[in-house]
Amino acid sequence: MLNARAALRAFVGFFLALAFWFGFSRAYERGLAGAAQALTNLFESPDVTRLAPSNGEILLDRRDFPPGSARPGLPGPDIHFNFVLLVTLFALDRKPLRGAHVARFLAAAGMLFLVHVLALVFQVHSVYATSLGPWSAANYGPVARNFWAAGFHFYQIAGRFAAPFALWWLFGRREEELAPEKPARTKKRKRRA
Amino acid sequence: MSEAPVSARRRSVGFLLRFVALLLVFYLIVASHPVNDAVIVPFTAAIASVSGRILNSLGERAEVVGTEIRSSSFGVNIENGCNGVETALLFGAAVLAFPASWKRRLLGLLAGFVAIQVLNLLRVITLFWIGLHRPALFNSSHTVIWQSVVVLFGVLLFLLWASRQNPLSAERSPAGRERSRKG
Repeated sequence: MLNARAALRAFVGFFLALAFWFGFSRAYERGLAGAAQALTNLFESPDVTRLAPSNGEILLDRRDFPPGSARPGLPGPDIHFNFVLLVTLFALDRKPLRGAHVARFLAAAGMLFLVHVLALVFQVHSVYATSLGPWSAANYGPVARNFWAAGFHFYQIAGRFAAPFALWWLFGRREEELAPEKPARTKKRKRRA
Repeated sequence: MSEAPVSARRRSVGFLLRFVALLLVFYLIVASHPVNDAVIVPFTAAIASVSGRILNSLGERAEVVGTEIRSSSFGVNIENGCNGVETALLFGAAVLAFPASWKRRLLGLLAGFVAIQVLNLLRVITLFWIGLHRPALFNSSHTVIWQSVVVLFGVLLFLLWASRQNPLSAERSPAGRERSRKG
């Protein structure tokens, strides 16, 4: 599997993914912020959290924040740049543009979107639980503080790199890919009698 | 469904479960304050020190203070996520989760760790150079390009190592033993 052709496919996949990511990450952040806000609002009463993408950051706002106070900006690329890793790993396949392989890639990308939404929800609660001084202490106990902060820290240190690898392993890898690539078969010609 | 694909699927999911469990354990170890203070921070400072020496030998006049590399107009602080430890954790969890002999695992871990750290050193040096001479490119180079390259390198190293272990694990599996008998 890991021969020169696979390396070339990964190289091309990496640059195509980079170009796609640079082109569409702002649009992606709008969808990501919307989904994470909806999920956060589901467990709030009243629903006060607002997430708005702005120049590569996702601005965290609450309707009950004082009007003049600063709004924290959460760096979007840190959460979703691992899309590039997912595409590169899927590009390792011998026939990366096969219909079934593309379908499996889309399923993995959909799962990665859910991972991004969850990571952003954890980051929002991590900010609420640890960065807002007395308000944090009044609204989040020690267990909740550690749960949200450690959850997001795990994503930062290991999860964001492990997620594309795990999704590729589950959806994109073929069993024979851990074996050396076999040479292409040559057709046998029938000898004329 | 035939027996072989079910068994392969089970092995695959088993690997993934072991991988995630090991990653969680490694994370808990690395994130704990005593390990962070006694191992990770000094290790990161050593990376900064070696990078500073290389940058100075290239004529960049860099000064190193702890985990920070500075010059008159630019400075970077090497934090967790930039010291190659995260890729080493990923690689280590994958190698330990994969069926292979302990000797091969230890050899793989050692060689992989060294290779990842050499690449990460190159990353720190080039990022400092980019920050100093092409500051507009620093953010995307830091967050997206180099981070992806180092992690991909770790994953590809693992795949390369795992592809060399495959005959061993295949021989140990029931299907592999059957093939050996017929062979």
